[in-house]
Amino acid sequence: MKKAIYNSRWYVLAALVLILGIVPLMGDQYLLFFCMLFFLYLALAQMWNLLAGYSGLISLGQQSFVGMGGYVVAVMSNYYGVYIWLGVLLGGVFSALLGLFMSLFIFRMKGVYFAIGTWIFSEALLIWFSNWEYTKYGMGLFIKPNPNISMTEIYYASLIVGVGSVALVYGILRSKLGLGLMAMRDDEAVSETMGVEVFRSKLYCFLIGAFVTGSTAGILYIFQVFIQPYKAFAIDWTVKLVFIVIIGGIGTLEGPIVGAFVFVLLSQTLAEYFSVSMLILGAIAILVILIAPKGIMGTLQEKLGFEILSPRRK
Amino acid sequence: MVDILAVNLLTKTFGRLRAVDSLTFEVREGEILGVMGPNGAGKTTLFNLLTGVYKPDEGDIQYQGKDISHESPAKRCRRGIGRTYQIPRPFDKLTVFENLLVGAVHGGGLSEKRARGKVQDILNLIGLMSKTDHFAGSLPLLDRKTLELGRALATQPTLILLDEIAGGLTEKEATKVLGIVRKISEQGITIVWIEHLLMMMAEGADRLLAISEGRWLQCGDPKEVMNSTEVLDGYLGAEEE
Ligand SMILES: Nc1ncnc2c1ncn2[C@@H]1O[C@H](COP(=O)(O)OP(=O)(O)O)[C@@H](O)[C@H]1O
Ligand SMILES: [Mg+2]
Repeated sequence: MKKAIYNSRWYVLAALVLILGIVPLMGDQYLLFFCMLFFLYLALAQMWNLLAGYSGLISLGQQSFVGMGGYVVAVMSNYYGVYIWLGVLLGGVFSALLGLFMSLFIFRMKGVYFAIGTWIFSEALLIWFSNWEYTKYGMGLFIKPNPNISMTEIYYASLIVGVGSVALVYGILRSKLGLGLMAMRDDEAVSETMGVEVFRSKLYCFLIGAFVTGSTAGILYIFQVFIQPYKAFAIDWTVKLVFIVIIGGIGTLEGPIVGAFVFVLLSQTLAEYFSVSMLILGAIAILVILIAPKGIMGTLQEKLGFEILSPRRK
Repeated sequence: MVDILAVNLLTKTFGRLRAVDSLTFEVREGEILGVMGPNGAGKTTLFNLLTGVYKPDEGDIQYQGKDISHESPAKRCRRGIGRTYQIPRPFDKLTVFENLLVGAVHGGGLSEKRARGKVQDILNLIGLMSKTDHFAGSLPLLDRKTLELGRALATQPTLILLDEIAGGLTEKEATKVLGIVRKISEQGITIVWIEHLLMMMAEGADRLLAISEGRWLQCGDPKEVMNSTEVLDGYLGAEEE
């Protein structure tokens, strides 16, 4: 029975993606909005998971790439009239370049210093952008898509980054890089003497994470229409991603999927109690950490003994 | 015979302790060089220097004629220096198979497809075929020791450094591990072998290097080295402290 379910997993997943693909045809605007948010948060969280769950990089500065991706789309659409999806891609490219620049400084740091280093960069960017005439200081910028695009298009872009992020991390884990990551996770020093290029592997993941986070943020800001430094570079972003990954199951591919669903569901339900919604989310996170420290999917995998999207070699 | 490795005035200090102290010796291609010395003599530190885990304070290491003293551990592994750890350090949450695959793909530079074939050969050699899918963290000591051997071998080494690979095993288990080491040597792989059991060194090693307190004592024919006054004094001196 278990085996039958396992063997049919690709069909089930394909069917699921197909159903999600026809959501825009269903005509339910709320469902469309809900699924879009789900995909965007999934992509952002999957990247934080790639760093924290697989590469040993605890980043508290993913908002640097959220802000960069959003601002690149805003600037490109506003000042240069660049084709909107090209702008999204450029947002990813600029985020990766920012990541490369950051790495010159923070990759000398380890553990908590790395975390703080990434955070400091975000704060510096916040100050920079809120004092920069080019980006209209703290007032922010509108995003003027060229050409005008529909909600359906934004939805499909979200679907691509959401599903794409899962496929990407799955692909990484099945590759040479991923094999090295899993060895590093168990014992970094030993993996190095077995030929794993630890520094390079971490850098690749950091840059991939920056690229996907930046482009995802671009799509998110096209939907939001408006970008301001105080929101774009706020640590709230990373806090949300940590929440999603922790409750879903860090270091599992399925964790961020479940986590993102729970998060979007909760944050939408709690939207009217905005002031307490963060408190409730925090309480849930603590509860999950106490009851099931491996998160929902991590605990299920342990109990049931199989992973749906397994990076294991046989 | 050609020297595959030449160590020249190598020194590593920890604070005021000279763990490895101006050590000079060479390893000849194809030989088994035994390394002996009392506990704390600096044997493991020497391996950590050779594999790049530690940077030397002084001196240099020539491998196949190239100065590798400042290369990263990963680079040295890919050049063909494999090692085992005195206290086995397998990747606990990976299976036996995956442990070997890491060595073959990263250290050995093989494609995953080719690595799989290589890993099967090694599993046969180390006798862990029946445990390919076991998590390495769940293995008993003997299996962890042979997995150490297998993983080092998977990196396709020309020189392999064994750190007390038979240490802590029963005589019967040690014999099994020795058999594997002998087969590795027969493949033409050069071996530097730290072991506490001196009889094993006397029989297994082509030459023996004796060190004490990080310093060179004697190097040469195993039986002569063991019976030399310097070594006996060095041992007794260190053991008394
Ligand atoms: N990382 C380290 N920091 C401080 N001292 C160390 C370190 N590694 C080894 N030592 C010291 O160096 C000496 C040699 O240790 P080691 O090379 O492990 O000896 P052996 O393997 O010959 O028993 C010992 O006195 C040990 O305490
Ligand atoms: Mg030792």
